[in-house]
Amino acid sequence: MKAGLEVHQQLATGKLFCACPSELTEEVGPTFVRRLRATSGENLRVDRAASLQAERGLRYRYETGPANCLVDMDEEPPHPMNEAALDTALTLAVLLDARPVDEIAVMRKIVIDGSNTSGFQRTALIAMGGHLDLASGRSVSIQSICLEEDAARRMGEESGEVTYRLDRLGIPLIEIATGPDVRSGPEAREVAEEIGALLRATRRVRRGIGTIREDLNVSTDGGQRIEIKGVQELRLVHEYVEGEVRRQEVLLAVREALRARQAHVGDPGGVDVTARFSDIVQGPLSAASRHEGPILALALPGFGGLLRSAPGSDERLGRELADQARAAGLRGLLHSDELPNYGVTADHVAAVRADLGSGPDDAFALLTDRSPERARGALRRVAERAAAALDGIPGETRDPLPDGRTRYSRPLPGGDRMYPETDVPPIPVTPERIARIRARLPERPSARLARLAHDHGLGTEVVRQVVYGDLEDRFEELTGRGHSPVLVARLLTQELPAAAPDGGFEPSPATLDALLGAAESGRIAKEGIPTVLRGLANGAPSVEAAIGAAGLGGFTAQDLDAVVARVVDANAELVRRRGPESFSALMGDVMKEVRGRRDGREVAEALRRAIARGGRGPDAVGAA
Amino acid sequence: MAAPETSDPWDHLRALPMGRRVEISDGAGHTWTGTVVPRHELSGDRILPLKLDNGYNIGILIEPGFRVRELPPAPSPPTNGVSSPAPTPSGTSPVVLLTTGGTIASRVDYTTGGVRPVREEREILAFYPELAHSGPVRIVPVFDRLSENIVPADWPILARHVVESFAAGARGVVVAHGTDTLGFTAAALAFLLRDLPGPVVLVGAQRSPDRPSSDGSSNLDAAVTLARDGRFGEVVVLMHAGLSDDRFAIHRATWVRKMHSSRRDAFESRNAPPLGRVESGRVHLDQPAAPPASGPPRVDGPLDDRAVLLWMYPGLDPTVADRFVDGQRGVVLAGTGLGHTAATHLDWIRRRVAAGTVVAMTTQCLGGNADPYVYATGRELLEAGVTYLDDLLPETAYVKMLWALGHAPEPDGVRRLLRQSLAGEFLDRHRPAGAA
Repeated sequence: MKAGLEVHQQLATGKLFCACPSELTEEVGPTFVRRLRATSGENLRVDRAASLQAERGLRYRYETGPANCLVDMDEEPPHPMNEAALDTALTLAVLLDARPVDEIAVMRKIVIDGSNTSGFQRTALIAMGGHLDLASGRSVSIQSICLEEDAARRMGEESGEVTYRLDRLGIPLIEIATGPDVRSGPEAREVAEEIGALLRATRRVRRGIGTIREDLNVSTDGGQRIEIKGVQELRLVHEYVEGEVRRQEVLLAVREALRARQAHVGDPGGVDVTARFSDIVQGPLSAASRHEGPILALALPGFGGLLRSAPGSDERLGRELADQARAAGLRGLLHSDELPNYGVTADHVAAVRADLGSGPDDAFALLTDRSPERARGALRRVAERAAAALDGIPGETRDPLPDGRTRYSRPLPGGDRMYPETDVPPIPVTPERIARIRARLPERPSARLARLAHDHGLGTEVVRQVVYGDLEDRFEELTGRGHSPVLVARLLTQELPAAAPDGGFEPSPATLDALLGAAESGRIAKEGIPTVLRGLANGAPSVEAAIGAAGLGGFTAQDLDAVVARVVDANAELVRRRGPESFSALMGDVMKEVRGRRDGREVAEALRRAIARGGRGPDAVGAA
Repeated sequence: MAAPETSDPWDHLRALPMGRRVEISDGAGHTWTGTVVPRHELSGDRILPLKLDNGYNIGILIEPGFRVRELPPAPSPPTNGVSSPAPTPSGTSPVVLLTTGGTIASRVDYTTGGVRPVREEREILAFYPELAHSGPVRIVPVFDRLSENIVPADWPILARHVVESFAAGARGVVVAHGTDTLGFTAAALAFLLRDLPGPVVLVGAQRSPDRPSSDGSSNLDAAVTLARDGRFGEVVVLMHAGLSDDRFAIHRATWVRKMHSSRRDAFESRNAPPLGRVESGRVHLDQPAAPPASGPPRVDGPLDDRAVLLWMYPGLDPTVADRFVDGQRGVVLAGTGLGHTAATHLDWIRRRVAAGTVVAMTTQCLGGNADPYVYATGRELLEAGVTYLDDLLPETAYVKMLWALGHAPEPDGVRRLLRQSLAGEFLDRHRPAGAA
């Protein structure tokens, strides 16, 4: 397996080609509507991905807001490139030992899914050739560092009109592409973390979900390059990589079986089998579902049994074919490996087989649409994909799904979609500029790790989690307020993630400050922190409220002594007999009552004192 | 392939033909492979622009000692080519599209980095393959110039093409034109063309057609629709009515002005709302337009271009202004406010008028009337012989001056023509925006 990553990080420098802030907003002002066309570029070639998109013929509605000006709306030429953003990209180039170009040429990359009002994304190659050294000692090559505009946010689609919000459009993105050097899923994640930490070290990046996205390029031996685009969750990076490897393995195995059987694809024009289904009353092929559209069949000689999943796998060729039908605007397709089902009876299957002249080793696919033209177009794409299965795995772009799987999205775009952005003159990268950047390099993550470990007397592993888990700013803020580094590190790396495993819980620094204060003052025990966090994650309005609701507060040192005295009294015989050695037997009983309410060390001390006094705590009488 | 190795490869590289594939090594471990593309006119010294295989262009500073290897060309994917024109539905009279260049018919020029006009019908069709889908369109290239390079001598030529188009059976005529001076050309055609049997629609684009978001395609589509509709016989300008691609404004040629340097809806009717609009492929006329004449149409020339347009401003030296007017038969002033100049200009104006120069006044406010009666300055200018042109835009007044000079040998005749309504250019009523 070979994998490469493209990390896209938003910058907080303001937008790349105008003076708007790089901020998202919920405030929506006027909207406007556009259409985009596939244009022929400088060499009169139309990009394949672009023309497939244009065939869908959609209208695009754009929502404007406080983070927009005429530039985002494609109503004013771009301003000169944002200098701070360019400096940040060049800083990354220096940190990664890459060679900046001497003159930057801003390009237009044709993207006509509506996510750019102009129909293209402005992008520029800033540096090439570099390397990233991993903690494992391995080194991953850096192919390119680009600076480009982020796209508009897709808000929804309704009856042929897609709505985008323009706030995100034009926010600078640094794109760092590694070579195909990554050897495993976990290594992919390590590379992503390392690059993420480097980017954050510049202190000019946006933070939070969606501000850093990874594209994964994966290929196995015999497979083509697959690009999984827009993975937002770092923790899923290795799952996507491993999932893609599994998918490719399954499809390569299918290829071998197809070749052995000399399988081939029938007439891509398909056969109209509508008449065979005149009696079907339910399912996707029923008259009500297909709105009088034709039912077309594609013969797949030799494909029988190879469209469904192999035992122990969830991947199958049938899904790849259905993805093509969906990409053509259909709801999907049915294939013979899953029939009879969905209202299709054994008689229907036999009738279609008869029409196609299929034998037992053969398969077929059925699809329908109210538009006969769209149905035929979809069938051609399905036939094309089935034929590609005989070669192996077609290169394509895939979308990540939340469950760790991916789905076909579009063909890989080619170089034909790039042409110069003539509204922006070439930008020289002078030796003086590079020298100035070299003189002001940010602290590297590895240096920061060593410094934090040294300054706070913490172990490297926990500091590693702080630095690479994007926690260093909060760590430094809380320790800066005088809180114990050990407590802060444990809070950020373990207790906080555990309080809400599904994410979405981000207490403010003030809340964490109050929580740590309560633990350090002895108002609650350090062991009570997870309980309070769970309360906050479940909606408690404040630290105080969470403490109160969990019954952790108001348990004083005197209350503790009373509990200790009661336990020691109840075991007076044991204490007398074994003296200090009775400690471990009694500690469990005491903790059962006071866990989370007083600090463990304090409990142990109180118990030892009580045992030494022979079973009578100072306040035992009053407290009883 | 030869591998020339010199101590300074710059001269060799500079002489390479465009499209040659090369590999360049800097001797420090960096190698670039790509295709030589033309230098940008603003590129730095010794910068070699390369198109990499991933599509990006970069510039490499070539230093002595760099090594260059020429490579065999990369296999080039087949060109889609220019689609042949769709078969035009016959049986209906066509719309004629006269092209003059401008953004609407321009493409990226790789060398200058700018855009250049196209000159051939097939190139236009490559941009607008859907042009003839709704009916026959005949394309006639007239000029291939950006509109800043259009001169008054071009206007009668264009007018003759319009007349010939109608004579050849056109239902309507569309003129694709650069937007910079589109308003001037529109006004000129309005004064030059008489007895129009159908619409003459000037149209442009604010975004070049090589961009997926170009407004050229939807503007052209709406312009052809309007020309085919044929409900009126005058010269109009059609452009976006707002930022959306689904509403277009129809402006009277003499009222319209480009009011923004880049927006799609840069064109505005001044002093009055647009004549109408095109929405969802339908034409709506909101104000009365000149009905189609029974014809035949004719060109009512000539123009005399011995006139200037002078913008008045604080600090303008009267002697400079006076010199500027030298040798001219007419001058249009874009005065301040209600049509004023500093009192220091009265002297030369008086002298020039006495010597036979026609001096006309408009307002640089671009809205409302020039009116000499409100302030003493106006009364003095009037008394000096300045002709006030009410609510004419300065540009329209300038074009009208050329027409009037071409039609009357004496100053008095010119002044009379200037004050006459020839193409619906004066408005009697100025109503507040939004008034019903």
